[in-house]
Amino acid sequence: MTMKNNTVMVGEGVGFERIRRITGYLVGTLDRFNNAKRAEVADRVKHGLSDQMEQL
Amino acid sequence: MIQQIVKRDGRVVPFELDKITEAIYKAAQALGGQDRSMAEKLAADVVAYLEQKGNETPSVEQIQDAVEHTLIENGHARTAKEFILYRSTRTRVREMNTKLMKIYEDLTFREAHENDVKRENANIDGDTAMGTMLKYGSEGAKQFDEMFILKPEHSKAHREGDIHIHDLDFYTLTTTCCQIDLTRLFEDGFSTGHGFLREPNSIQSYSALACIAIQANQNDQHGGQSVPAFDFDMARGVAKSYRTLYRANMIKALDLEGVENAEKLARDAAEKIEAENGIWPAVDAQNGYTELEFALLAPAAGEETVKKAQAFARRYADREIDRHTYQAMEALVHNLNTMHSRAGAQIPFSSLNYGTDVSPEGRLVIRNLLLATEAGLGNGETAIFPIHIFKVKEGVNFNPGDPNYDLFKLACKVSAERLFPNFSFIDAPFNLKYYKPGHPETEATYMGCRTRVVGNVYDPSREIVNGRGNLSFTSINLPRLAIKANHNIDFFFEQLDQQLNLVIDQLNHRFKIQCGKKVKNFPFLMGQGIWIDSEHLGPEDTIGEVLKHGTLTAGFIGLAECLTALIGKHHGESQAAQNLGLEIIGCMRKRMDEESAKTGLNYTLIATPAEGLSGRFVRLDRQRYGSIPGVTDREYYTNSFHIPVWFPISAYEKLRLEAPYHALTNAGHISYIELDGDPVKNLDAFESVVRFMKEVGIGYGSINHPLDRDPVCGYTGIIDDVCPRCGRHEGEAIELEKLQKLGLYRHLNAQTLGCCGNPEEEADRIVNPVE
Repeated sequence: MTMKNNTVMVGEGVGFERIRRITGYLVGTLDRFNNAKRAEVADRVKHGLSDQMEQL
Repeated sequence: MIQQIVKRDGRVVPFELDKITEAIYKAAQALGGQDRSMAEKLAADVVAYLEQKGNETPSVEQIQDAVEHTLIENGHARTAKEFILYRSTRTRVREMNTKLMKIYEDLTFREAHENDVKRENANIDGDTAMGTMLKYGSEGAKQFDEMFILKPEHSKAHREGDIHIHDLDFYTLTTTCCQIDLTRLFEDGFSTGHGFLREPNSIQSYSALACIAIQANQNDQHGGQSVPAFDFDMARGVAKSYRTLYRANMIKALDLEGVENAEKLARDAAEKIEAENGIWPAVDAQNGYTELEFALLAPAAGEETVKKAQAFARRYADREIDRHTYQAMEALVHNLNTMHSRAGAQIPFSSLNYGTDVSPEGRLVIRNLLLATEAGLGNGETAIFPIHIFKVKEGVNFNPGDPNYDLFKLACKVSAERLFPNFSFIDAPFNLKYYKPGHPETEATYMGCRTRVVGNVYDPSREIVNGRGNLSFTSINLPRLAIKANHNIDFFFEQLDQQLNLVIDQLNHRFKIQCGKKVKNFPFLMGQGIWIDSEHLGPEDTIGEVLKHGTLTAGFIGLAECLTALIGKHHGESQAAQNLGLEIIGCMRKRMDEESAKTGLNYTLIATPAEGLSGRFVRLDRQRYGSIPGVTDREYYTNSFHIPVWFPISAYEKLRLEAPYHALTNAGHISYIELDGDPVKNLDAFESVVRFMKEVGIGYGSINHPLDRDPVCGYTGIIDDVCPRCGRHEGEAIELEKLQKLGLYRHLNAQTLGCCGNPEEEADRIVNPVE
């Protein structure tokens, strides 16, 4: 907590946690991923759900 | 006259002729030579040669050159060759030492964020003292094993990145993982190696001891630990708790009704029924206990009173057992995320399989474990461990009307919120063939990120999951084989076959070392009979025979890049590539099956998880072959048989294409898809993906979705740039007042700034004047 212009401020320098599954394990934050895994997470694209019936 | 020499490190030391004599004599000895005086004469020649060249203070390298020259000049070619070999081995050892010291230097002086080695495994904190100590040991052991333990051809293939021997640091020490049968372990109690624990008697003790068992076993192996039927194992703890709760409430009720000697009366009745009929008060009240108890108590306490007391005891026991089970599961999740293993560097890698126990006790376990996971840790954080695996089975939990269908729905909801559970599918044909209803040990389960052990060539009468696990695995760099084949498919398959032979030979080499270990080397895994049949062994017995129930496994990386290198397309974009992909993986599986048939050992094929490996292979290949589009142009090779993560494809198509590989990879597999948006808002879509997995024959799958958390306001969900709850950017500070309007930080204000603790005390504080 810090003071700024007589106002109490919270959270300076606190990042968001981003939980990801990479090899099947979850990891609490991207900071611990090695370089290759970070690159893989950055490259991921989403998979749509629209064409289910065609596939079935 | 030579008086001094210059050592490799630059120091100048007195010259000793004997050292040259000794080196020459040793080289000659290696070839059967015995003539020491000849070695002395040659050493004198070496000195004469150096002096003739006018070198008064030679370096070690120059002396060695002179030795080689002199030996050859004097017709000792074979001794010269031996000396050169000795010299080059020494050089490699020296280089290795330097390399190791460089690694140690980086481990010591660089932080994890700038040192990839420290982040090799994301769940080990490389910045801590014990994490670093573990790394010193691990890196040292790897170098030692490479130099002195591995066969030279295996060492070379590993060093150069043709194959990757996983957990090389543990090569001479232990095996990978085990599927723990807790029910068996708890019977009559067990010892952790540091003290004896009695058979537990309540669900709280059951869950606490489950954690301890996982932790203790983790220290005997280098992989993770799995419980194949957690619901069945814990159900007995629920039953015991219920017995205690019902009895206690019965006593209270009778006492309040004014029955004399209520405690003795109720206790005697319960003990008599247990002794004569072998039953306790059960959660569903269906086993006849209530009627027997009524008959015993009514004469003394009166029919009306007993009826009332029984209804009271039932009502409160029902309520309390639910709460106790929840608390036990909550404690378990907390414990498995905080307790340490392996010198404190990590928490145990734990997996819990459940979902098929339809007993009321088992259902209580499943529901409360899911609810505790949904609630999250102390501040609502998502729990990283255990890995939850919900076993999906038609007729048990898959369709409306199935006894555990409600729990399947709940599992989908919790997974949509917390990424766990994953889903395993007993109905996939390759899993179904082992399934025997009523025998949870025949339900195929998964360990950690994907390992699967159920089939058993060594003992086909024991095709069960309990007490078994993987012994070791080694992965093949598929893209490199494809690059080397230069579009020649036949040549590729020839190379693949050679590589498989090499891997099988290496797995067998490691297995022989593992077999020489003794029970006393694994005080928990073998000493407590966790591993199948080890209960029949004594501390000094070797474990070779019982290890044969485990699996010896080849794996692979980068099928997608391999196919692109071979035919220009990967299996997500071309049916021809998919056919070729299945042929490649099918060929690998066939080779493992052949080896199993030949040896009676469980040679199997895994879709490698590639924690640290995906980056290593591609780095080495880019150095060798340059950046090849679609092959070596990214920082990683694609995981096992997955469609590349960057390739746009629908969830259903991805699963449909990956499913056939699940059938081929009998040592383990996983498929996941990346879902956009917040799946909690569309649970039907989430469930439809899980159902689709089952329909197309996926063995083990999970659904990824963004799961972010703002530690300042506690919001969990998707956060892009701005937290949807408190509105702050990453790293940005926010007014306390704003948070308090959200109902947070209510005890904090300008007066209590910088303090925490007792709210009453805080309220009494006054501002200290600043003058």
